[in-house]
Amino acid sequence: MAVVEVRISLPYKGKDPTEIAEKIKEKFPDEVVDVTNFRDQVSVIVKKGRIVDICRYLHDDPLLLFDHLQDLCGVDYHAKKDPRFEVVYNLYSIRHHHKIRIRAQVPENDPNIRTVTAIWVGANWHERECFDMFGIVFKGHPDLRRILLPEDWEGHPLRKDYPLKGPEPEKDWHGFIEVLNRSKELKEYEWEE
Amino acid sequence: MLIDTSTVGLIQVEEGTKILPPNVIITTFDKIINWGRLSSIWPTTFGLACCAIEMMAAGAAHYDFDRFGIIFRGSPRQSDCLIVAGTVTKKMAPVVRRVYDQIPEPRYVVAMGSCACTGGIFRTYNTVQGCDTFLPVDVYVPGCPPRPETLIEGMMKLQEKIRKEQARWSPWR
Amino acid sequence: MPGTYLPSEYLPVLIFILIAAAFGLGALLLGMIFRPKKPYHEKLMPYESGITPKGEPRYRFSIRFYVIAMLFVVFDVEAIFIYPWAVVFDKIGLYAFIEMVIFIVILFVGYIYAWRKEAFQWD
Repeated sequence: MAVVEVRISLPYKGKDPTEIAEKIKEKFPDEVVDVTNFRDQVSVIVKKGRIVDICRYLHDDPLLLFDHLQDLCGVDYHAKKDPRFEVVYNLYSIRHHHKIRIRAQVPENDPNIRTVTAIWVGANWHERECFDMFGIVFKGHPDLRRILLPEDWEGHPLRKDYPLKGPEPEKDWHGFIEVLNRSKELKEYEWEE
Repeated sequence: MLIDTSTVGLIQVEEGTKILPPNVIITTFDKIINWGRLSSIWPTTFGLACCAIEMMAAGAAHYDFDRFGIIFRGSPRQSDCLIVAGTVTKKMAPVVRRVYDQIPEPRYVVAMGSCACTGGIFRTYNTVQGCDTFLPVDVYVPGCPPRPETLIEGMMKLQEKIRKEQARWSPWR
Repeated sequence: MPGTYLPSEYLPVLIFILIAAAFGLGALLLGMIFRPKKPYHEKLMPYESGITPKGEPRYRFSIRFYVIAMLFVVFDVEAIFIYPWAVVFDKIGLYAFIEMVIFIVILFVGYIYAWRKEAFQWD
């Protein structure tokens, strides 16, 4: 009867996220505004000035190695807090299996932030969506234009002061008004019973 | 008259159709043409959202559409029906209208699903509240999404509508 | 007498041709009479998945098609000339043989020329 040696190993968990937050804080002490921890989800709230340096450090440092940008989105805290917008980066390390969330504050009177497409190429379309929905301009983006809505739409719908039902029918997107008018003109070509 | 109908055994099958047994059928043009059209409705596949999955299920093996003569065509030039399956957004509305315009007559429109009928649960900035704002719809099939049996009943209602047509598509009306 | 020959056995073929033509043309003609005629701009536009068509519908053909077709015609005519010669080959003697060899050699020179000028290359 053969004896088989079985080695059970626990999955490698990587660094504790609070430690990662501490590392960021000691490397960029002026930029970090706050570190929050909600049920083991750690977010580091930073100012938007040196966001590219912070992200470059997180991407390149061999013990951190955040090579997967899982998500990039925007938040609008209309009238709830100032600054109004935040750009949220959800980062994950495929090598070390740890996660962190970086929130960059973007004020309303200067809604632009530098792009991170040089670090993670996948941020391209996410930043376009953020621009489309919130109006946050990403400086240095290779192709910043609307991605979900028609290119000449006016307004940024996911802001909290945009009407849910959309613009008034007279001030609607011109392409849709043209479709309605043209279908009225073509009613004479329809075949009724 | 070539046939003296009083002595020959003509059987009236239904209103307007007579059969001379065993295999001569005498009927009107309307009935023949409508029968031809309703037995071979060829829709353009225009699946926009989740209702497209149910439309595909209705066309697949279990709830077969082919047994009704309904064959999905890829191009509007070769079809005579448009099944709008899914949410119509304002960005997509000109495309839907253009595809409808390019279907040759006789053409019919089936609005499948709540979003195509009335906009569904989406009363938002980019959702058209019903494709009948810019298309003439013949049959509305509600549901979110409608089961394949519901869609088949919708097509049968369209067949009923075609059966009752009287020279609707004629150039001399 | 030659000149008054009427192929009367082929009359059914003529009737058949006329009925077949009547079927096809008649269907088109009836369609033209009975179909609805209400064209408008969007209905007549070329279909490009519902968007405004971009670009030209006709593109330029490659010149290679013309070159291949011309070479085919030349060598096909050469083959047609060789066929009757081959049929009466044993009756015409050595003189005709040498003439045909000269003919083929002239065309062979043209063949080598086309080969060296890359007329047989597709790309």
